[in-house]
Amino acid sequence: MINRSKAPRTVDVSLVADDAQLALKPGTATAVFAYNGTIPGPTLEVREGDRVIVHFENRLSVATTVHWHGLHIPFDSDGSPFHPVEPGEKRVYSFTLKPGSAGTYWYHPHPNHSTGYQVAKGLYGAIIVRASDDPIPASVTEKLLVLADNRLNADGSINLPEKHSQLHQFDEENGREGDMLFVNGQLNPAISIRSGEIQRWRIINASASRVYRLAIKGQKMIHVGNDGGLFERPVEVDELTIANGERIEVLVKGTGKPGDRTVLQSLPYDRYINQTRPKDWEVTRDLVALTYTTAKPMSMVAVPASLRRIPALDSTKATATRVVVLSQGMINGKKMDMNRVDFSAPLGATEIWDIENIVGMDHPFHLHGFQFQVLSRNGVPEPFPSWKDMVNVPKHQTARIIVRYDDFPGKWMFHCHILDHEDHGMMGILEVK
Amino acid sequence: MNGLASRCSMASMFLISVTACTSQPGSPSSSASPAGSQGMLAGQSKMDQVLRGRAIIVSNACGDCHRGGSNPAAPGWLAGVTSRADSFPVGPFNTFPRNLTPDSATGTGKYTERQIFNALRYGLRPSVTPDVDITGTTPGQGNFPATPHYLPPSMPWAAWRHMPDEDLRAIAAYLKNGLKPVSNKVIDSQEPPDHWAAAAKEAGPYPTPAHPTASETAVNTAQVMRGRELVIRKDCGGCHGGGPNPSMPNYLGGMTDPTGEFQIGPFKTRPRNITPDNTTGIGRFTERQIFNSLRYGLRPGETPDVEITSIVPGQGNFPERPKFLAPPMPWPSWRHMPDEDLRAIAAYLKQGVKPVSNKVADSEGPPDFWASEYTVEKIGPRPAVPFPTANERALR
Repeated sequence: MINRSKAPRTVDVSLVADDAQLALKPGTATAVFAYNGTIPGPTLEVREGDRVIVHFENRLSVATTVHWHGLHIPFDSDGSPFHPVEPGEKRVYSFTLKPGSAGTYWYHPHPNHSTGYQVAKGLYGAIIVRASDDPIPASVTEKLLVLADNRLNADGSINLPEKHSQLHQFDEENGREGDMLFVNGQLNPAISIRSGEIQRWRIINASASRVYRLAIKGQKMIHVGNDGGLFERPVEVDELTIANGERIEVLVKGTGKPGDRTVLQSLPYDRYINQTRPKDWEVTRDLVALTYTTAKPMSMVAVPASLRRIPALDSTKATATRVVVLSQGMINGKKMDMNRVDFSAPLGATEIWDIENIVGMDHPFHLHGFQFQVLSRNGVPEPFPSWKDMVNVPKHQTARIIVRYDDFPGKWMFHCHILDHEDHGMMGILEVK
Repeated sequence: MNGLASRCSMASMFLISVTACTSQPGSPSSSASPAGSQGMLAGQSKMDQVLRGRAIIVSNACGDCHRGGSNPAAPGWLAGVTSRADSFPVGPFNTFPRNLTPDSATGTGKYTERQIFNALRYGLRPSVTPDVDITGTTPGQGNFPATPHYLPPSMPWAAWRHMPDEDLRAIAAYLKNGLKPVSNKVIDSQEPPDHWAAAAKEAGPYPTPAHPTASETAVNTAQVMRGRELVIRKDCGGCHGGGPNPSMPNYLGGMTDPTGEFQIGPFKTRPRNITPDNTTGIGRFTERQIFNSLRYGLRPGETPDVEITSIVPGQGNFPERPKFLAPPMPWPSWRHMPDEDLRAIAAYLKQGVKPVSNKVADSEGPPDFWASEYTVEKIGPRPAVPFPTANERALR
């Protein structure tokens, strides 16, 4: 997005959602919804402390919103179902990014009952918030990978099955998945790396429901951050699971030789209920070719041992413990009701949420408005603190999180981020006042 | 009881579609007068007893094995299996659910209501047990046979016997007086040399152990105690753990090893933990969600906690795409219980049973969560078709 502002520390941009025809699959034209004419939409790049003004215009024939997923911003700019933008209307989203919020986020529509449809049609984009004191050396090349699967008909149109068809039923149950695994809107793109180089990859899972188990064949990755930015320290891993809605930051080391080729893959991940597990769930899928240049190896820059400090939220300050039971399509046995407040809490309060998934498929849980910290999963303490706005709660497992409702009163959604589940009411409302 | 193997085979029965009744109307049933020391004699009171027996049979899933499910209008209602393939293997032995219609040659026509009562109360096979009042349970005492021949363990008499006398007599009265005889010779069941005596020793205590057992809480409201009676009599523990005996460890705690699985066509059903454990049981479901499971067969993890007033998808809070409990959970029979009984069961499970931590692996099933198997055409209506259907006879 192009910043039209001349004022310091101010980002003033335009965003338009409109119908478009794009060649998602080479040789075909697909009728899509697009932000500023592209899929993904343009990346919003800002810095901590920036005042951001987004002039949004809805040129679609349906109501929509823009939800700034993960950003800690005022309620009336959250783009939740409470603030629909009708066809032909405009809305200004305005917020200032707090210090410490540097990280990778994304934006997408959040209208009541049709988020899945609008994301499937192409509405999603990345947000990068940078810190002035970023500990990763500026010489490290940065790559953005926005993962979003889709399913097209033979004529290139987006496959949205008839209601009550078996495919529709599978979509409702599993969340809609596609066989085309787009990375930045491309199929199987390549990333070039030089032997000895280190790259910083910001990865966003913008899929409606697909969970990716990411691994680079023959290489380890250095996990340095997730939803709310960098960790305190880097962690070397063989693979990383990223649920839909989540983000990760990894350092990829060019440990191969000049001319080598390898691949970023999505390994099988069983998030499914027995009754509707797809037959091909065990397929490993290639996402990105990682090709080494023929240039002679460069000397590898040092990865800092310490990235930043993350103060752990103090559980002794918690004034309430909420129980959030996730079943299939419901939270605490209830479907979403816009006129109901499920939880009410005072501004500034610290609370613990026990999120219990009591059914046989994963539910990636998202809280609007506030970054939280995971205290434990299945009773096992989290090894280190990090900022999250999503926590995937695998089948029949639990997660305990802690959150402080700083700064912004309002009605904040919490929901399963499988978009079909969200659209069918697996969502609740936290009112902070 | 050596019941697990038999239960697995029960499951295999479920998907056997009930074909048109091939039996011919048989010879007139026995004209034996109403038997049993407290049998009713004639007229309206006999009619009441027969209708009561019918209601119990409909709501006790007798037809799930003996044919017809919970629908007295179904072809072959209670007339027994028709094929060698319909056996229930119990260990190495094949047992075959019998013809319960009052046909003299092939059904219950030759037995008195008292013999049927003794079968239900004591598990004694009517064909080899004298027609006498039994006052003891020790072989050789109080008319209890010195060498008892028991019904095979797949027949849940160990649970049924906890019904009050008048209920068991009502069942016998219906079978003998309310059904038309159907000639259907069922293959004789196989049995061990002890005539299932060893299995009968595992039938649990009779009468029911005093409340509360170690598996139960001290909650003893009238509703919870009613629920306890029903859970025992309906043999919930037969699949969910502990049989009809609340003093068993892991009572209602779900299957603990693969022998508790049911093979339903290509799918495995695993009886779940129905104790109120939050993580592994039903602790996070409300009593209304449990009621909705028992009345409508709706999976509580997939059905909102709302009052349901319809069985038409999308209407009256009935889910647009209902997801049903996996067979052989006999909810099509349980649904015929009165509201207060189903609520009592829910109350007992939630309040009267101590939580057991036992995670049972999820059941399998088709993508429609059995919806195509649970149409009114297949399971019959609720309430049941009025008496008498074509399978039944008006009282003379």
